[in-house]
Amino acid sequence: MSDTLFDDGSEQDDIQEDVMTPAELIAKLEEAWLNEKFSPELLESRSEVVECVMEQLTHMEANLQRVKKGDAKASVHRMEIDRIRFVLSSYLRSRLQKIEKFFPHVLEREKSRGDSYPSLLSPEEFAFAKEYHANTESYLKAVALKRMPPNLQTVDMLKAVPEPCLDSFVFLRVKERQENILVEPETDDQREYVVDLEEGSQHLMRYRTIAPLVSSGAVQLI
Amino acid sequence: MTTSSGPWSDCMPASLAAREILCVVNVREKSHQTRPNQTNKMDPSEVEFLAEKETVKIIPNFSLDKIFLIGGDLGPFNPGLPVDVPVWLALNLKQRQKCRIVPPEWMEVEKLEDIREQERKEKTFTPVPSPYYMELTKLLLNHASDNIPKADEIRTLVKDIWDTRIAKLRLSTDSFISQQEAHAKLDNLTLMEINTIRAFFLDSLNCMYKLRSNLQPGSSQGQFMDY
Repeated sequence: MSDTLFDDGSEQDDIQEDVMTPAELIAKLEEAWLNEKFSPELLESRSEVVECVMEQLTHMEANLQRVKKGDAKASVHRMEIDRIRFVLSSYLRSRLQKIEKFFPHVLEREKSRGDSYPSLLSPEEFAFAKEYHANTESYLKAVALKRMPPNLQTVDMLKAVPEPCLDSFVFLRVKERQENILVEPETDDQREYVVDLEEGSQHLMRYRTIAPLVSSGAVQLI
Repeated sequence: MTTSSGPWSDCMPASLAAREILCVVNVREKSHQTRPNQTNKMDPSEVEFLAEKETVKIIPNFSLDKIFLIGGDLGPFNPGLPVDVPVWLALNLKQRQKCRIVPPEWMEVEKLEDIREQERKEKTFTPVPSPYYMELTKLLLNHASDNIPKADEIRTLVKDIWDTRIAKLRLSTDSFISQQEAHAKLDNLTLMEINTIRAFFLDSLNCMYKLRSNLQPGSSQGQFMDY
């Protein structure tokens, strides 16, 4: 997507924050945006990127407050801010949409994750998911369940709401060369085989096979 | 973040009801258009948005110091001196009649004719001059056709190239499906081209997967993402 990508993995963002230029930060946000847009499941929250971008925007907007009206530069800055803000809100919105769609599973995964794993959700998203869950349940109870026979009054949300379909196909571009990716057969009379993903090449395959590569940043969904 | 979770969560039953109505509306909408902002879908305007980040040369008719944007520095601008700017800015300046746009070097009748011939000759996808060739052609020709020599010919040529490629794309998706492949390499395809087949193609693959794996509704795997 952009030349200003990192060579190392994206896991040590705390350390990287200091060395990231604003341009690299925006590139990171756009990567996260496209990955989130095209992956069937909710990805790990990139709240550190979101926070840094917010900081940049607030900083720039504060600067613009001081500029007098009609300044040619200010209008260019405003346009850029609008563009970044669009990406940012589209990113957050697509995460909220997924949380609404898969809330029982998102919460279940959050519950079962060990302390050593980072949370999938930002604190705000977690609060949103919990509240959405509680409200959906009480709404269902109020309009339908309490009028049902007693033995039918419970609903298992985990079963009632479909899981994300990890077997969907996705389009991807390779950022770091990968070897021996196993491709599972579609039908019984086919055999499984392995492919190498060359850097810069584009592929169509099942999300399940490459899901770890998306979170490690080795491939970009397109 | 705080603004998005606050007001939403307070009115959940109402928003749920609204959602049911929305679902009905969406069923109707789906018949003629896909909803933008749906997960796994991308609107063509969003691809165009990405294309607008490409740089293009302009010749400004005003002077201005360097601009320090978040995404990098631009300028300085001097009348008559070419300078590289992102397409979104070039178009904005052009609309305000503050610059002349220099078309990218591939946007030229002879070069495009070569590419067209190549594309027609080869069975596979040939490399395109720009990953956003279609979007850039459309944007620049719609807003700055007076700066581009032989604009009409260029429009036709790019359309020819696009049509040839889309025809190939249809053939290859067809064989992908009929041979039940599990992996395909898509080098040289642009985002816009992928995007034209994305919704229909991926949905079909999901449908066929569901039919093949013969899952009962209510079981935990392979379900559709929609309610």
